[in-house]
Amino acid sequence: MNTKEFIKKVKNKEIDIVEHTEEVIEKARNINKRYHLFNIISDDSAIEQAKTLKKEIKKNNIKNKSLLGVPISVKDCVCVNGVESRAGSKILNGYKPVFDATVIKKIKEQGGIIIGKTAQDEFGFGTFSVNVGVDFKIPLNPLDKERSCGGSSGGAAGISQIADFPHIAIGESTGGSIVAPASFCGVFGLCPTYGRVSRYGLIDYANSMDKIGTLGKTIEDNALLLKSISGHDDNDSTSINSESDEYSSYLKKGIKNIKIGIINESFGEGVEKEVTEKVMGGINKLEENGAKTEKVSLPLTSKYGVQAYYLIAVSETSTNLAKLCGMRYGRHEELTGNFNEYFTKVRSKNFGEEAKRRIILGTFTRMAGYRDAYYMKAMKVRTKIIEEYKKAFKKFDLLVSPTMPFIAPKFSEIEKLSPLQNYMADIMTVGPNLAGLPHLNVPVGLSKKMPVGMLLIGNHLEEGKLMQVGNIFNQ
Amino acid sequence: MKKFTSDVVIGLEAHAELQTKTKLFCSCPTKGSEEPNTRTCSICLGHPGSKPSVNKKAIEYGIKLCLALGCKIQPEIIFSRKSYFYPDMSKNFQISQYEVPLGKDGKLKLKDGKEIGITRAHLEEDPASLIHPKGMKDSAYVLVDYNRSGNPLVEIVTEPDMESPEEARDFMKQLITVLGYLEIFDVNNGIIKADANISLKEAGYTKVEVKNITGFKEIERALFYEVDRQKKDISEGKEIVQETRAWDSEKGITFSLRKKETEEDYGYIVEPDLTKIEVSKGWIDEAKKEMPELAQDKVNKFVSKHKINRIDAEVLSAEKDLAELFEKVAEKVNPILAAKWLRRELVRVLNYNKKTLKEIKLDEKQIIDLLSLIEDKKITETTGQKLMEKLIEKPFDVKEYVKKEGLSAVSSKKELEKFCKEAVQENPKAIEEYKDGKEKALNFIVGSVMKKTKGKASPKEVNEIIKNMII
Repeated sequence: MNTKEFIKKVKNKEIDIVEHTEEVIEKARNINKRYHLFNIISDDSAIEQAKTLKKEIKKNNIKNKSLLGVPISVKDCVCVNGVESRAGSKILNGYKPVFDATVIKKIKEQGGIIIGKTAQDEFGFGTFSVNVGVDFKIPLNPLDKERSCGGSSGGAAGISQIADFPHIAIGESTGGSIVAPASFCGVFGLCPTYGRVSRYGLIDYANSMDKIGTLGKTIEDNALLLKSISGHDDNDSTSINSESDEYSSYLKKGIKNIKIGIINESFGEGVEKEVTEKVMGGINKLEENGAKTEKVSLPLTSKYGVQAYYLIAVSETSTNLAKLCGMRYGRHEELTGNFNEYFTKVRSKNFGEEAKRRIILGTFTRMAGYRDAYYMKAMKVRTKIIEEYKKAFKKFDLLVSPTMPFIAPKFSEIEKLSPLQNYMADIMTVGPNLAGLPHLNVPVGLSKKMPVGMLLIGNHLEEGKLMQVGNIFNQ
Repeated sequence: MKKFTSDVVIGLEAHAELQTKTKLFCSCPTKGSEEPNTRTCSICLGHPGSKPSVNKKAIEYGIKLCLALGCKIQPEIIFSRKSYFYPDMSKNFQISQYEVPLGKDGKLKLKDGKEIGITRAHLEEDPASLIHPKGMKDSAYVLVDYNRSGNPLVEIVTEPDMESPEEARDFMKQLITVLGYLEIFDVNNGIIKADANISLKEAGYTKVEVKNITGFKEIERALFYEVDRQKKDISEGKEIVQETRAWDSEKGITFSLRKKETEEDYGYIVEPDLTKIEVSKGWIDEAKKEMPELAQDKVNKFVSKHKINRIDAEVLSAEKDLAELFEKVAEKVNPILAAKWLRRELVRVLNYNKKTLKEIKLDEKQIIDLLSLIEDKKITETTGQKLMEKLIEKPFDVKEYVKKEGLSAVSSKKELEKFCKEAVQENPKAIEEYKDGKEKALNFIVGSVMKKTKGKASPKEVNEIIKNMII
């Protein structure tokens, strides 16, 4: 039963939404025992929501409820009123927001049911969801428990893969955190244009790059949820004042004469052979369906993308995390010493290793004397990278590359990676994230029984085209 | 780098609270409940997930100030994060302006016409207030009140152009006057603070920063103290070091906060939750339309047009409401009389009642009526003073009241002579004493006449009549 059919049945009262929600919660709980995909399952509030919705359905008060009863999982970093929202960090233990993020408000208004907060790298700091906060469990790939779900929206991708009930996930991407796990778990993951979706209520990683997006088993699910959460928000100054498209209308369009640029630099050294083969297979399929392809080179992005991305990301994040000091919310420690000593104690005990690394790096890159050489220069490089993409989009509708250079790695392999090798895994994904371009992971086949993902990158605000092309792989 | 020659060199960083209705980045009210932590929301408390939105009114106020100070207004402004850890900072960074301030390169004239350069003027958010239950040094803990957190501040940074504490005081006074005229600052209840950089020639112009000085009188006090301290240290052979000191207003001293001053590193980055804000020509033009005539223009006008003396003009112009009242009154009554009465009597009565012109519902008609009666000698000055006092309590129709209460001055000399004659006859003893050379005895007789006329006579005139009678 796909989501559309499910909504229809709920509408027709063929499905009792309260009973269904209870079943879903039970299933999620069982899944979680095996794979640790949720940091919290919000059973009480989900059932409360379902009960309210049931009354509305009874009264036939279901206009504009496009997500009628659909279970939605939410990445931990997105605030849900009254539900512990920790962004995967122990330092936020006990933080129950007093407000809903704008996306959550919209989802609730449209009848979506929030079933829980999904596991992630602490604050989004990672590509494999192994950098979880102190005392958190690492989410396991449902296709192979020895392997990573990808990150940082690992729990979102994992539950999207294994859920046997209607479900769509809210994820978040700063440098590739939606498409990377989508690739490793074999689902569709869509990261929209920067500003397409309000960030109000998102626990920030790097604000100038953070984007809330969607993950799901099908393109339709992604289209449905994206449509529900898009739009301008007065509470987020960086949100775009542009009507969101009716994405589902793109799904029937076909792709004849769509011009696709194959990013030259993304098929060379460091990319697994079978990954290249499967992605090339995907490209062939696009050609068979009438798309025109040609190679394109993005030398600047390939050479400086990762560096610029990490410099900006750590600079911003080190200021974002400053507020977490055990004073007003979140984890507290015994009050001893002066405020400096107390803040230091709280932060030393409750931030994970990667968070500490990024705070230190980000404080350094902002320091007088280094600021111009690192932070300011990275900002300039970013502008150049945007220009490089803009030039490419004069010629092409979409760009294509592998999403990740390899399939989901085993935890034993990840342990051997140095921090730098870790960061280099993001080479394909940081470009569109730096430039605020919408991008989509499309599963294009298996390698060693694990999914391979193809990355489609669109011009600003052209999520529709991504879905139009991605839909070729929907069957 | 400027080459200094004067004995004392002072530069200021002044912070004034802008009186917008809501805070700079959220819609919490800037005024209202004084109960701690009641005017707060998830934005000004810095809750994870919350984001700032700019209050355009604060920018408009900033534009007006820049126009008044002759600053170049930047066509596009950005906000930045200024990072440091402190319990009064809800985010442990302050949203301020760094690279591109709202205004640059302005000036403000002191009373004597000397121009003080304005380096920059920018907007930023106020931190929370810290309450030390047992004073700053002896409290085991502090209490934090976030009511103030996020209030809009304008920071004005001057060039090191001031050469004495008096000039620094006058600068602050002139700045407050400008802020008041623009109606962007609450002159009576608003907070204005400054950090001062001071360097003495004798100390080889070593820069000492004195932080946290509230109000223009304190600036002078703090800087006088600092000049004396440095001079004393030098005379004792001590070296003046570059440092940051704090002003303790209660003890009237400055004390060292940080020595070996390395420039504080605030690790500025662009505030990524806010977009660039375009300060369009249209926006500036709108603000220009609303710009009032400023105090210094008014002083010049009062002196040249109304021929009142400069000191009176300065006092009248220091407060916009008073200056505007004067202008209206001076159209109808002798400006010199008007200046004298507004400056002395009105201000005296207001101060006595601890009220401002805004608070009382006085309009120019009542003042014009009152001063016309005085000008035409229809009432005595004593009656005028009493009426002024009454007017401040509650305005009324002055002419009507004078008629009803029969307060018109006894202006006929004949009538007055009659009262004087009576008084002289009734007080032979006092007359004797006066004749014996006791000048004061005369006052007794004058007082008696005043009593008879119910204060409606001019004491001066009575005095003369009596003197003539008894010679």
